[in-house]
Amino acid sequence: MLKYLAKRILIFIPTLLAISLLAFIISISAPADPVEKLSSSADKEGAANQQSNATKKTKQELRKKLGLDLPVFYFSFGSISDCDTLYRVADKDHSACLAELSHYYGNWEDVSSYFHQLNIAQLSHSKLILDYIFEMNKDAEGRPNYSKNEINDVITESNFEINSMLETANPNVIASKFSSLDTLYSNYAFLSPVKKEFEQSKLLYNDMLSKQSSWKSYIPKIIWYGSKNQYHFWLFGDGEQRKGVVRGDFGFSYIDSQPINTKIWSKVWISFSFSLLSVLFAYLVSIPLGIYSAYKKDTKFDRITSIVVFVLYSMPGFFIGVLLLYTFANPDTLRWFPVSGIQDPTLYDPSWSFFEKAAHRAPYFILPLITYTYSSFAFLSRIMRVGVIDVFGQDYIRTARAKGLGEGKVVMKHALRNSLLPIITVFANIFPLAIGGSVIIETIFTIPGMGFEIYSSILNSDYPMIVAVFTIIGFLTMIGYLVADILYAVVDPRISYK
Amino acid sequence: MEQRDFSFKKYAWQQFKKNKPALISLYILIALVFIALFAPIIANDQPLYCKYKGEAFYPAFSTLVNPSKLDSVINPETGLAEVLQFDITDWRKLDLEKVMWAPIPYSPDKGDRYNREYVSPFDEQRYKNSDNEIVAIPNRLRHIMGTDNIGRDLASGLIHGTRISLLVGVLAMGIASIIGVFLGALAGFFGDRNLLMPRSKYYFTLLGVFMAFFYGFGVRKYTLANAFTSGNGIWELVISLILIAAIIVGMRLLSRVFKFGWLAKEVSVPIDSFVSRGIEILNSIPRLILIITISAIFVRSIWLIMVIIGLTSWTGIARFTRAEFLRIRELEYVQASKSLGYSNFRAIAKHALPNALAPVFVSIAFGVASAILIESSLSFLGIGVPDDVVTWGSLLNLGRQEFEAWWLVMFPGFAIFLTITIYNLIGEGLRDALDPRLKS
Repeated sequence: MLKYLAKRILIFIPTLLAISLLAFIISISAPADPVEKLSSSADKEGAANQQSNATKKTKQELRKKLGLDLPVFYFSFGSISDCDTLYRVADKDHSACLAELSHYYGNWEDVSSYFHQLNIAQLSHSKLILDYIFEMNKDAEGRPNYSKNEINDVITESNFEINSMLETANPNVIASKFSSLDTLYSNYAFLSPVKKEFEQSKLLYNDMLSKQSSWKSYIPKIIWYGSKNQYHFWLFGDGEQRKGVVRGDFGFSYIDSQPINTKIWSKVWISFSFSLLSVLFAYLVSIPLGIYSAYKKDTKFDRITSIVVFVLYSMPGFFIGVLLLYTFANPDTLRWFPVSGIQDPTLYDPSWSFFEKAAHRAPYFILPLITYTYSSFAFLSRIMRVGVIDVFGQDYIRTARAKGLGEGKVVMKHALRNSLLPIITVFANIFPLAIGGSVIIETIFTIPGMGFEIYSSILNSDYPMIVAVFTIIGFLTMIGYLVADILYAVVDPRISYK
Repeated sequence: MEQRDFSFKKYAWQQFKKNKPALISLYILIALVFIALFAPIIANDQPLYCKYKGEAFYPAFSTLVNPSKLDSVINPETGLAEVLQFDITDWRKLDLEKVMWAPIPYSPDKGDRYNREYVSPFDEQRYKNSDNEIVAIPNRLRHIMGTDNIGRDLASGLIHGTRISLLVGVLAMGIASIIGVFLGALAGFFGDRNLLMPRSKYYFTLLGVFMAFFYGFGVRKYTLANAFTSGNGIWELVISLILIAAIIVGMRLLSRVFKFGWLAKEVSVPIDSFVSRGIEILNSIPRLILIITISAIFVRSIWLIMVIIGLTSWTGIARFTRAEFLRIRELEYVQASKSLGYSNFRAIAKHALPNALAPVFVSIAFGVASAILIESSLSFLGIGVPDDVVTWGSLLNLGRQEFEAWWLVMFPGFAIFLTITIYNLIGEGLRDALDPRLKS
């Protein structure tokens, strides 16, 4: 038994690694840029042009802090046209554009020099000083050639166009931007500092086109990065501030930069107690019900409970939840229970004893618990009934009856224990079901648990949080499987794990 | 005589027919399929047939073919042409000489501006007649199941939502069954020791899978992405898949050239371990959470949701198929086909598979029920499904936000419940009919 357990726990490790890897892959393929999310700079579209060097620097530091300036994984697959240091490019759009350009043209050096030059062209807008241009562009009588507004508009337009060129690899779009900028620069001579750099980047672009070697993108390559990568640091820590998941550190939330650990544990507790309580209730109700209806097989009672249980089984959880809210937490019908939350913030006092807290929270717990419980209850009663009917047909039950044992003893002592087997095997399935169902139930009842957390972190693309919840849930689920295995051996002496 | 006619299919069908709830469910399912197929004719705000200024039109049918069809009529009094663009014309405003409305004269996505803000089916509903007066609605045009906040007709939404729900079942479970049956059959039939192949073939197949993904998806990723944004992504995806299959087959053929020495030695492929570990990992993550997370990072699209549900729901089917194949591979007829020298492929496809399918059908039926449940949960949460697509789940979600609107909860909820129930009942009926061992 111990040996078996040790083996099972050893299998845990690769499975957990696979789950964390899956979660990690999902989180890095997410479209949102965490740095943009965390740095509370003005919204990206409007203020992209005016992004000062200071904000760029804070972003750079933030990237470093989050470990985003590192490669994602130990290695990456790509073609020989791909650049192996692309992860150093700060802006997510820029690095996507660079990747696409090098995919099309295959000559990384030329692509990067074109892109670099374009970046310089964009930065050279800082040389254009509004007042200076305004003063310089006056005709002989001192009348200004351009109004300040016009100058400002032109600079903004040029900046915007170059900025958008940094985010596209479509040759048609690039060509049209080139020609529109050409006309802009020929119309407004004061843009010459930018024009100079721009012309240079145009040359480099044509150079890139003429020297293209797109065959390179057809030759696969594996790039090895070593252990200095995001996944490694996420898992094992970087030896400095981050401790890594193996030491229980899940990193920081993108939303409020709080450590995920402090945010998550109270939530794990809420969800866990909900699913544990509901599984407990489900077993408490379904075992007697299953036994009784199997015992009274084909009577009216059995038929009615079978139908009710089947109906409940097919009822979607969110429908039940909303119906309960409609009926029992609705000012128009019955207002027996509160609509949302797990406590009343105006009354709740953290210094209460456990029982006071429980008494305060009980009304908040009832409706969600019913919703939680009913689905596993229906599932369990059906299985229990079939199991007991199966056991009643066995020889040893007939023997027990034949030797004159009372019905109560036959059922409780001989039938019950054996019919528990199937119901324990499904313990492992109920657990993930309860956790998965929590997303919907917690959203309906606004319970601040893991399910609601994963829902809101998905809406806010808070990926470290998603990965953390994912890994924890996977871990809990596997523990559920393990507990089921152990219970199985405890209940059935015929089963031994050797 | 009877003995000669006996076939398992016939026997199973007879058994199935004895199960009344399952049979009734099957009839309801057929009715639902009918509703789904003819949804644009059952619920449409354009007339099925109308006569306007002496000319006959069939707008509901014409817009099926060409959504923005244009037509014109000559006004006999003024002699001027009047242009009608079928999908934006308000047919109720026109002075139609003869008209035949759809049974439910509303489209799911267009709001009725005179019945906004949750109008109950029993409340007074308003209508603007051709004289521009707001009057009580004629019985023919009543919203029989009420409306939502922007005046969309609930009955119409439910009818069009049937399409999505049934499609989710078919498409998601189609994908899941293909993956599940394929992997389960391989794992069960060969186990860890019996899939033997020369090293050259083994390594070349692995290399082929890698190359296939590189050329099928890696090299073509921008082509695919551009195609998906411009709308014909499915074709490019099919090309990619064909490319992948071709490369793997090609590499396997190529491996024959290198069949010598060390490379020619046969080794066993632990296919069962691969598949079982994969199932274990996928089962350790609650499915709903996995699907929600994956669908959150992609573009919102109902098709994508179906594919994601399919790609994550194959484990149950694979487990059933694997268990059946484990049993069947020891049976005499499979052993016989082996000793007769038939290929493994033939033994699997012609001998083992037809006999393993019965329990798989059962798990597919239950799988459809849970796929529909997952889709409606997702649209209930508002994740993955675009805002303009009306599904049962999204309708129910509207009802959650407004406590007055009981009809927005009851009707969609009941529709979801009904569909799930009939699939579960059909699954039970199939299980009883297809598995004679349970009968005894």
